Amino acid sequence: MAQRAVWLISHEPGTPLGGTVRFSRRYPTVEKRAKVFNGTSYVPIPEDGPFLKSLLFELRLLDEDRDFMESRDSCSRINKTSVYGLKVGGEELWPVVAFLKNGIVYACVPLVEQTLSPRPALISISAISQGFELLFGIQDFLYSSQKIDTELNTKLSQLPDLLLQACPFGTLLDANLQNSLDSISFASVTHPQKQPAWKAGTYKGKPQVSIAITEKVKSMQYDKQDIADTWQVVGTVTCKCDLEGIMPNVTISLSLPTNGSPLQDILVHPCVTSLDSAILTSSSIDAMDDSAFSGPYKFPFTPPLESFNLCYYTSQVPVPPILGFYQMKEEEVQLKITVNLKLHESVKNNFKFCEAHIPFYNRGPITHVEYKVSFGQLEVFREKSLLIWIIGQKFPKSMEISLSGTVTFGAKSHEKQPFDHICIGGTAYLKLHFRILDYTLTGCYADQHSVQVFASGKPKISTHRKLISSDYYIWNSKAPAPVTYGSLLL
Amino acid sequence: MGLLSREAWAQRLGAFRASPSAYMAAPEGEDLGRDLLSDLRSEKLSEQTKVSMLALSLEYPAQLWPDAPAAEAAATSLLDTLVLLPPRPSALRRPLLLAATTALVTGGVLGPTSGASLRLLPLLLGLASGGDLGRGFGPSSEQRPLQATACECLRELESCKPGLLGGCLGLLRGLLGQEGPVAPVQPLSLLLALALRNTLVIQARARASLQGLLTVRAPPPGGGPWNWTLAQEGDAHLQPQAPSWPAAEEECGLSALEPSPEEARELRAAVAQLLDTSYLLTPVAQAQLLWLLGWALRGLRGQPPVLFKPQLVRLLGTAQLALLHAVLALKAAFGEALFTAQDEALLLRRLTLAAQHPALPLPAHLFYLHCLLSFPENCPLGPAGEEAAPLLLEPQLCRGLLPNLLHDPLALLARLHLLCLLCAEDEQKEEKGQAQSPCHYLQELLAGLQQRAALTGGPRALATLCFQASYLVALCLAGHRTVLAPLTHGLAQLYRARPALAPHFVDLLDRVAPELGEPLRVVLRQEVVSRPGGGEALRWHLQMLAKVADRDAQSATLGFLQAAAAHCTDWGLQQALLRVCRALLRVGVGGGLADLLQALARQLEDPDGRDHARLYYVLLSHLSGPKLGVALGPSLAAPALTSSLVAENQGFATALMVQEAPAPIRLSVGPQRAEGPVPVLQLQVEVLEPVYSLELRFRVEGQLYAPLGAVHVPCLCPGRPARPLLLPLQPQRPAPAQLDIRALYTKSTGLTCYTHLPPLPVKFADLFLPFPKPPEGARLGFFEELWDSCLPKGTESRLWCPLGPQGLEALVSRHLEPFVVVARPPTSYHIAIRLPPDSKLLLRLEAAQADGVPVVLRTDAWAVLPLVGDYLRGLSAAV
Repeated sequence: MAQRAVWLISHEPGTPLGGTVRFSRRYPTVEKRAKVFNGTSYVPIPEDGPFLKSLLFELRLLDEDRDFMESRDSCSRINKTSVYGLKVGGEELWPVVAFLKNGIVYACVPLVEQTLSPRPALISISAISQGFELLFGIQDFLYSSQKIDTELNTKLSQLPDLLLQACPFGTLLDANLQNSLDSISFASVTHPQKQPAWKAGTYKGKPQVSIAITEKVKSMQYDKQDIADTWQVVGTVTCKCDLEGIMPNVTISLSLPTNGSPLQDILVHPCVTSLDSAILTSSSIDAMDDSAFSGPYKFPFTPPLESFNLCYYTSQVPVPPILGFYQMKEEEVQLKITVNLKLHESVKNNFKFCEAHIPFYNRGPITHVEYKVSFGQLEVFREKSLLIWIIGQKFPKSMEISLSGTVTFGAKSHEKQPFDHICIGGTAYLKLHFRILDYTLTGCYADQHSVQVFASGKPKISTHRKLISSDYYIWNSKAPAPVTYGSLLL
Repeated sequence: MGLLSREAWAQRLGAFRASPSAYMAAPEGEDLGRDLLSDLRSEKLSEQTKVSMLALSLEYPAQLWPDAPAAEAAATSLLDTLVLLPPRPSALRRPLLLAATTALVTGGVLGPTSGASLRLLPLLLGLASGGDLGRGFGPSSEQRPLQATACECLRELESCKPGLLGGCLGLLRGLLGQEGPVAPVQPLSLLLALALRNTLVIQARARASLQGLLTVRAPPPGGGPWNWTLAQEGDAHLQPQAPSWPAAEEECGLSALEPSPEEARELRAAVAQLLDTSYLLTPVAQAQLLWLLGWALRGLRGQPPVLFKPQLVRLLGTAQLALLHAVLALKAAFGEALFTAQDEALLLRRLTLAAQHPALPLPAHLFYLHCLLSFPENCPLGPAGEEAAPLLLEPQLCRGLLPNLLHDPLALLARLHLLCLLCAEDEQKEEKGQAQSPCHYLQELLAGLQQRAALTGGPRALATLCFQASYLVALCLAGHRTVLAPLTHGLAQLYRARPALAPHFVDLLDRVAPELGEPLRVVLRQEVVSRPGGGEALRWHLQMLAKVADRDAQSATLGFLQAAAAHCTDWGLQQALLRVCRALLRVGVGGGLADLLQALARQLEDPDGRDHARLYYVLLSHLSGPKLGVALGPSLAAPALTSSLVAENQGFATALMVQEAPAPIRLSVGPQRAEGPVPVLQLQVEVLEPVYSLELRFRVEGQLYAPLGAVHVPCLCPGRPARPLLLPLQPQRPAPAQLDIRALYTKSTGLTCYTHLPPLPVKFADLFLPFPKPPEGARLGFFEELWDSCLPKGTESRLWCPLGPQGLEALVSRHLEPFVVVARPPTSYHIAIRLPPDSKLLLRLEAAQADGVPVVLRTDAWAVLPLVGDYLRGLSAAV
């Protein structure tokens, strides 16, 4: 269940090595066990330099992919998980858990407590999921607040001490590194009663509970006879409970209005102590019917100190909030585009912002645009080959707006204009970006009065809601578009 | 080296970390370990610097203290430093404990003979149990973190030496159950669970009982010696801890343990105690606890896994990777005993959901998808160890798990695999033609991938992805023509659009089974040869053709090559062209190719190209088909060489030259023939493998015999009796000799080989020939005449020929029968031997006695006298 080593590597395209090892940690006692367990199939952990080179090559993060290289490009080298085998000094180091996120490659080598030939299935290796948790934990710690470079450096410099705390011998004690950081400062507190390991200390101060529901809506719209449009809501309920006592109990209920869309695919935080079976089984996999459980969704839990995601859910609302079409046709040297967007009447017409981004890939810079908008304004980014239609805070009374125009492009130069491997020929999309505060598409809300807190003092309870667009695509209906399997099931 | 400043240490540690091996190889590396230990006690260095020094020792103890004595000394020094710390708060206690533990483990010194071990263990146990260790162990504020650290150190020691804490189980249970101000739950729980698991495994292997280990409170720390018994039993078994996966079920063998009812009750209580407080553990630690307890209880009699049941609903609701993975481990360990069919279905649904939940990151999705295809089913149908869709995973459930072009390559391939599995099932149901059938969707997807790969200037990763997908489909759906036919067609189109992908095509053809490979080869060849010969893509076409050319459509192929030859202006293109010719030669294309090669030999600009064309022409006109195939086939001698030129040379060398090889032939001398005008050696031959056109060449040192002719055998097979080979000898002098033998033969692979066989002796007696026999009555006279003719030129000699137990009669009949002229058995024989070229040897054996016979001999060749003496004396021994 232990890790043999862990690395953080910043990916730096264009540099000679392609990256730098920003942090690494080895666990020699685990290595000692690996030698025994793996027997003749044991491959030692390489030094940082060779590891970096081999990992970046395997992840295709080195710039040199001009020529076909069998060791990388062969069709039979198929990876279906984020677990790799790295060629190091003629041998293959396996398993290496690795993924790239925000320009940093997170990597570790989990201990396999048996021989490696034949390779055991990943599911049978307990350290694999522990490795993932460690890397996710580091990632959360590095990016828990704003992504400012200096702050990232500060956090990176804290890592050695934190891992000494959270993973002293390679066996992970807590994936929540912030908690480990806190436990260093809370160390002097005495503990009269059993203290959860995931809670470094206790809160002292005014009791308050804050609940925020954020829904993201994504959509793929095609405006085609044989392809169904799809849309989905993904909700996250974030809580921060400032309550005194070691183990205060809280129950939060999420409710839906009478015509609300049932919550599905609910995943809860490990601090939730019990779950109704209706919550556990409501799933988007099943065909919907009227008998679907529609709440209230009760979540009894003992909160940790920090802000945490109490649960995630998805939901299938009956209509997308904005329905639209996008038609784009190549006419001699120019593109003729028509866009129509309609806000559904049930949706709160009060946006923080609303924009439609219309990118043109694999073409030259925009040289000329002629357009007509029924509402809002159009901004043109010539070098980026991008149009942004700024719709603003409100749709007009008709709820329907349109844009039409022609766009002309200059000669293509590969360095500057964006390349995209989906938008080939007429295949194109526009992407909506919007945000509505104090609103959820499902109607889901946390009633202040339904929040039960079993702790001293009456807490102040605050709730927040918002709807955000995410991956909201409207595809050109005059050309082929990438479809999901669900779209074919009319 | 003297005391270093903070900066000097920072710089030194940095240099070490940059490349530990390089640093240790340099002279400054030598003292690092020693300096580090001594400077830890320096009062001038800050705690922060010391922590970073200790951090280094936690990562690289084997480099700092490479052998056992050094590690022991280091651990002792670290413990001394710990004890000497002033009694105020210090950030060093924790890392010092960790460092001493690490040094002992990695140095391999943990054991009853190590002084440092005997100090560290009671110290850790004392700290872990929260006892008062007195002065020097810091303020009470540090007690709790140190208690946790001590537990972690003990857990690490127990991990590396299973059974070490077997004697402390009772103590640990007591600590965990304490009321009031308590020890930290998580480190104690994990320590207890690990020690419990190890103890159960060791006792089961030793076929011992638990001997009250669960209840006995261990001796107080500091008092009494450490109990190493279990650790020493366990040590031999730090072998793969059979994972709780069904495939390894037998290795577990916990069923050997038969706890008494009371022990079983205690064990259950201990497990329940751990599980009841497990919610106090962090999610990752909960997962570890479940794995350990799953391991501990699996296969143990009288321990129903229902203890885990209350935890499961809570765990199934979470999104935590480690927790869901631990549930799967329990599923694999206990199967139906813990999960009913309904539970299994629910678990599968949660897993399916987690594999696509938008709130989870991609690596988690992929891992869940892997778990789904390796799901430990209650009643598995397929072969173990192969990824397959579980029975309860209906296609309906998978809808959201199918790939589309917007997916990341990893996700696309993982989901494509699932799609292929569904297609394989779907095909069996024969529901073709529907737009939403998985097979139809698969085709659309492949078409999309091909379209993306065709994008000129697109990244290679996209092309690679397309070929990986094609390979995966060919692998999973090998028998499905409805899928493979459009795939073949699509790939041909892709080649037409972007011939620069030729290396990918060659790679694909090298790896796929003939179900896809053969039709693809045909369409690609058509694709290439139907084009005009020139253009930018010519080098790709030639590379492609070298792979796909064969005997079919020869004229089109040759036509293309002829047209292409005019455009092959540089060396690289000419070589590519010749490689195609070479491929054609190999598959046995004849007529038109000869013309092409002749034309190339004249027309190519590059001399090397012309030479090669000529060489190929010569080979084509001189070698038989099979031999040509061998000559041009992949070189066995240099399989790993990447240079085609070297490989080609090696191939020719092996095929066209005679190779020296170890002999698959054994020769021996058969019985003497003693007839005819000259002595003839009978050779017995045996072979170990089929041998063709065998030619044996013989040679004798000096001028003893006239030159010997070679012996030819058309074919020899192992196990099939061969007729003896006859080798006539023409001695110049009657003398024995050594035959030096060489063999030249062809193997069944067509290679010609040459070998030097071990020499064979020609004995003196092998040269004996009889005189023509005179009529019955004239024999004595004939002998006497010969006898008299020897003198005066020759010589007479007398010898004593010893006889064995069989007597003279047996000796003569065995060795000298063909040469007897006058016989008066059993005591008297007259013998006449012709010795080629023109000598004779006459023997009178008369008045034999029990132990020997006097021999009078005459010969006209003086030189043979010693040989005769040796021969006669050897006879009795040879009987």
